[in-house]
Formats: sequence, C-alpha cells, structure tokens
Amino acid sequence: MSVDTVEPGPTARYAPSRRRGQGRLMVGILLLCFFTVTPFLAVVVLALTPEGVLTIPHAWPSDLTLDNITQILQVGDFPRWFANSFIYAAVSVVIILLTAAMAGYALARKRFPGRNVILWSIIATLMVPLEATLIPLFILVKELGGIDTLWGLILPTLANAQAVFLMRQFIMGLPDELFDAARIDGAGEWRMFTRIVLPLIRPIVATLGIFIFLWHWNDLLWPLIVGQSDEARTLTVGLATLNTEDVSTTNIMAAALVSVVPCLVVYAVLQRYIVDSIVATGIKG
Amino acid sequence: MTVLATKPSRPHATQDRPRRRRTPLERREAFAGVVFVLPVLIIFLMFRFLPIAGAGGMSLTEYAINGEATFLGAENYQRLLNDDVFWHSLGVTVLYVAVFVPMILVVAMVAALLLESIVKLNGLFRSLLFLPYVTSFVMAGIIWTWIYSSDGPINSVLSAIDLPAIGFITGDQILVLASLALVSVWKGFGYAMLILLAGLKAQSGDIREAARIDGANGWQTFWLVTLPMLKPVVFFVLVIETIFSFKVFDTMYVMTGGGPSRASYTLIYMLYDQGFRFFDFGYAAAIGMALFVVVLALSLVQRRIFERKEA
Repeated sequence: MSVDTVEPGPTARYAPSRRRGQGRLMVGILLLCFFTVTPFLAVVVLALTPEGVLTIPHAWPSDLTLDNITQILQVGDFPRWFANSFIYAAVSVVIILLTAAMAGYALARKRFPGRNVILWSIIATLMVPLEATLIPLFILVKELGGIDTLWGLILPTLANAQAVFLMRQFIMGLPDELFDAARIDGAGEWRMFTRIVLPLIRPIVATLGIFIFLWHWNDLLWPLIVGQSDEARTLTVGLATLNTEDVSTTNIMAAALVSVVPCLVVYAVLQRYIVDSIVATGIKG
Repeated sequence: MTVLATKPSRPHATQDRPRRRRTPLERREAFAGVVFVLPVLIIFLMFRFLPIAGAGGMSLTEYAINGEATFLGAENYQRLLNDDVFWHSLGVTVLYVAVFVPMILVVAMVAALLLESIVKLNGLFRSLLFLPYVTSFVMAGIIWTWIYSSDGPINSVLSAIDLPAIGFITGDQILVLASLALVSVWKGFGYAMLILLAGLKAQSGDIREAARIDGANGWQTFWLVTLPMLKPVVFFVLVIETIFSFKVFDTMYVMTGGGPSRASYTLIYMLYDQGFRFFDFGYAAAIGMALFVVVLALSLVQRRIFERKEA
C-alpha cells in the first residue's frame, strides 16, 4: 500500500481553477465539522446544566453548575470505575510494549529455531476475531480464578499480535551497523536491548502506546463479561449500566463527560502524532 | 490490520544456509532470541492459541457453568442451523453491514476530498473531523441516545413545527439500524477518511489536471480518474469496515438492548446472550465459530472479486 506518502502531490494547489470552488467546499467541511463537534458541545452543556432546569434543545440554561459532576462521582463507585479503567489501560500498555519490543527484537534480529513458525502463527491469529474466542477465553480466566479481578481483565488482552508485528517491522528497519558496533564493543544482550533498541524504537512505542491505551480505555465487551462487580468494573461498563438505569440526562452526560476527558487530553496533546501514525501504519483502534 | 497488506520479508535472513554446527556466537544469539520471544510466546500460547483451539472443541460439547463438559458432536451446529433466532440475528447483522459500509465510505470519501482541496485551516478541520474517533462507543451511544430521544433536539424541532416524532431507535427495523449505523459512522469515519486522504495525496495531480484540461468536469474527473486510481485504497477500507461492522455490539448494547423486539439483535449480541445470560457455553462457542467462518469468508470473497476486476 502506498498510503505512507503524506506529502501532497505535485498538484498546483493554488492554481486559480482550484481556488474558485473554495467557498462551496468551505460550506461542506463546516457542515461535516458541525456533525462531528456538536454532540460534544451538547454533552458539555447538558453536563453543566442544573438538574430540573429547562435545557437544550428547549432552552439554553441560564446558569451552569458543577453539581452533576460531583453527584455522579458519588453514584455507584464511579471513582473506582475510573481508576479501574486507568489501571486496565495503563498496565496493559506498559506490559504489551515491553514484551512486544522484546519479541519484535528477537524476531527481527536473532536467528533461532522456530522463529518463522512463531512469527507466522502470531500473525495468523489476526484472522481470528477476538469475539469468536470469547467463550473459551472466559472459561480459561474463570478456571484461573480471574473473574472480577483486574489481572483477569488485563492478562488475556496482553496477546497483541499487531504490536508484535509492528515492533518487528520497525526493528528490522534499523541499520545493521548499530548492532554490529555494539556487539564489537562487547555489549551483552540485555544491554543491547535497553541501550540500543529501546531508544531507537521510540516512535513506534509512542504510536502503539496511544492506540493500546485508547483500545483499553474504550473497550466494552471483554470488561463487560469479566468485570461485573465494582472491584473490576471499568468506566465503559459502568456507564453502559447507568444508561439503562433511571439516571437523569444531566447526570449521565456528566458521567460521559468525565469518561471522555482522558481521551480528549490524549488527543489534544498528541493529535498530529495520532493522525500521522494511522497513515503510516494503518493501525486501527 | 495492515499486517495483511504488507508482506514481511528479509531476504538475507531467510536464505537457507548449509547445515553446520552453530558457532558459540550464533548459539548465544539463538539463546537470546528464545529468551526475548518467550514472554510473548507464553502469553500467546495461553491466551490466544489455546482459546482458538478451545473454541472449536467447546462448540462440540455441552459445557456447564461448573466446568462439566458432555461431548455432543455436531449437535450444537445442527441446533444453530434450525434456530430462527440465529438466522434472524445473522440477517440483522448483514442488513446492518449493508447500511453501514456504504454510509461510512461516502462520508469518509466526501471528507477526504474536501480535506484534499481545502487550503485554509486544513489542519484544524482535519482534527475536528477526526475528533470522535478517540471516544468510546459507549460514550457515542449515550450522546446519540439523547439526540434520538423523543425530547432530543431533532424531535423537539419536529414537534415545534407540528410534525410527528421520529422513533430513530424505537421504530422500523431499517430506521433503527440506519440510526445505529450513523452513530458508528460519526465515531469511526475519521479512520477511513485519513486512509483515503493519504491515498488521494499519493496520486499524481498531473493526471487529474490533464483530465480537466481535456474538458472533464469535477464529477467526471472523480468517477473516471480519481476513483479508479484510488481503488486499492478504497478496497482496503471496504474490507476493514465490513469485517469491523460484522462484529458490531457496543452501540446496540448501550442504545437499544438489541430491540425493539430484536430489530437490532446482532450475531455478537446473540453470542453474548447465549453465553452470559443463559450460560449455554457450548452453543455460544458454536455461534463464535459461525462468526469466524463468516468473517473469514468475507475477506476471501472480497479479495477474489477485487482480484478478478484487477485482471
């Protein structure tokens, strides 16, 4: 796929023929932005509207309040769900990145018996949707005693074929000379990994880190079946149950707002990076 | 998922060397390789290979919650083929895919074409269009439940001008599925948009310019020049979104609960119900296998059709 070329083609971007239609195009793109952005604005306004006050779409609230947010923090162990989501995402990111970097390094740079078999069987698992193995995975975690625990939630998600594959591709692209030089200097294997590989793979670590975090933070199905009690319930599961219960619109919007803030912060800070890495690797969240 | 599109190769490493004793350095390297790959290997053996093998095995049994398994042979599959609910949920899923995929392709293509031509504030627009992608389906479902609700913005406008309310997620099946598809399009089109945009930017502008000079209007240029050249990228997006939408569950779980009267009861929803509401694990595993077969067949069929057109 030639999708990794981000440079604009040699199109005459400012040619008069192209500039003429700009006004119409602007209307189109503003409509699309209205489509993507307004729901967020609605969440913010609704979340800050005092309960019982007439609000959008009927009226703009006359005064705003943080009451809904403080209220929702007391509903059904909300802070606990938030912390669980964070642990689920953060711990998974760290372990996946470390193990995938190690495996990617071995699969790219070391010759050992069974290497190709291991590589191809890991890649082949990408063909099997996770949902198809949901039942045996649940039984396995149940037998291990991992139901309603955070480790039971985290462990099965550590098998991330995409991370292993992208790490391997990236490490294969590093110049051989670096490794040869380090070897001649007598660097041990672990030292070579921590001093040469880890610093050089920072771009792919960042890309994978962002996406693995978002996948976990936004994940519903697996946490739904593994974390039913408050001890292991994540924010997505908590929100989904709140939505079906008798909670006021303003309260549920406050909960939604709190849940989306970490994603928006990640996006605001790393926005250009996220966009570029989708184009470069085709990674899908 | 690019994995399927890229072919890893490292010619000098895969060449067959004549068999000989490994030197001490090579042995040290091989040992290090095994040690470094070991954590991932153990994780995959345990949580990927074992469940994949287990899925087939379990689907042939009646598996009770206490771990007792009775071998049934193909009985679960026979039951599946005679189960109206299964055919219904498969039909719902196919209908949903048929509504969702064209919708997301059109929106993503329009957005990509606009972004390609717009000069001013391009970066800002791109960020705003991509924004919903970082949220969860749960979050998206909560917002859109309100937007679609009887006292949401759309129905309020309708009632203000004395028009009947629209039951976006409570009415007709096709309306419900389209409304749910729109939520997924809202959240997800940013990805397809970026891939298509990269494809557009990789095209040489000369050919389109030539078409224009030859008198083709914008529409003709798009259909006869831009789109045919973009076909591999469109196909990539098409496959990814089809497979992705076949596994739809989150929006239904949050917004409709599979209803009204199973109008949005998808395959994964049935799997979830059979497994975790009725604890019929063997049967649920068989549904999982059906899903696997469908997804696999889809990617093969799409690949075949595409290759034939290319030839």
